[in-house]
Amino acid sequence: MTTKVNDVRAVLVRGAKAEAIADGSPAIEAEHVLLALTELTGTTTARLLAEAGLTRETFRAALDSEWEQSLSVAGVTVTVAELPKATPDRSRNPQIGETTKLLLKRATATSAGGRIGAAHLLIGALNTNLGRIPRALDLAGINREALQAQAVEAAARGDH
Amino acid sequence: MEVDDPGAGLAAVVALRRLADRIEDSQVEEAMRAGWSWSDVAEVLGVTRQAVHKKHAKRLIAAGVALRRR
Repeated sequence: MTTKVNDVRAVLVRGAKAEAIADGSPAIEAEHVLLALTELTGTTTARLLAEAGLTRETFRAALDSEWEQSLSVAGVTVTVAELPKATPDRSRNPQIGETTKLLLKRATATSAGGRIGAAHLLIGALNTNLGRIPRALDLAGINREALQAQAVEAAARGDH
Repeated sequence: MEVDDPGAGLAAVVALRRLADRIEDSQVEEAMRAGWSWSDVAEVLGVTRQAVHKKHAKRLIAAGVALRRR
């Protein structure tokens, strides 16, 4: 199934923003875009993610593991699920964060001047060794290179 | 703290900031639900009353927390 450009805009403007708000994050970061991609039900991109073991729930769990592991480096032992929760600010309008800007830059480079589709965004999310996404995926045992290769193939077919 | 990998050390910085933000959001909410004043919360956090109000008031009003004026 093809993802239209409007869908991609929706991923960023609605899906990723909603994830950032739910996360209490001041900005829309790359991990929020990837979470939104897992929610594109019925698309090739979401199917590739699910087949690799990445649903919204599993990726959220992986992000929590990454958070716990990174805190442990500083000697802080925390179980994220047990942290006190704050009521999210639904009125807030988080802006595009630096990690999302980099993701979009990589996605644009992959699209070779054409319209950016969901598979391009997925490539943009995966094609880095730095930041929370690769750390979380490594901890979850996800083969990032294989998933990225599948996303590249899908993008080349125009199948998002 | 001894870290050989700067990547892990820098990730720890991000993780600590996220943790501080999460705890601040939840505990300011908890304090205001318990009837604390903005001034008291600000004093404990070591920031101005205006700063803590600007950062949290909108969210807490939306969450239905009854706020004291001072």
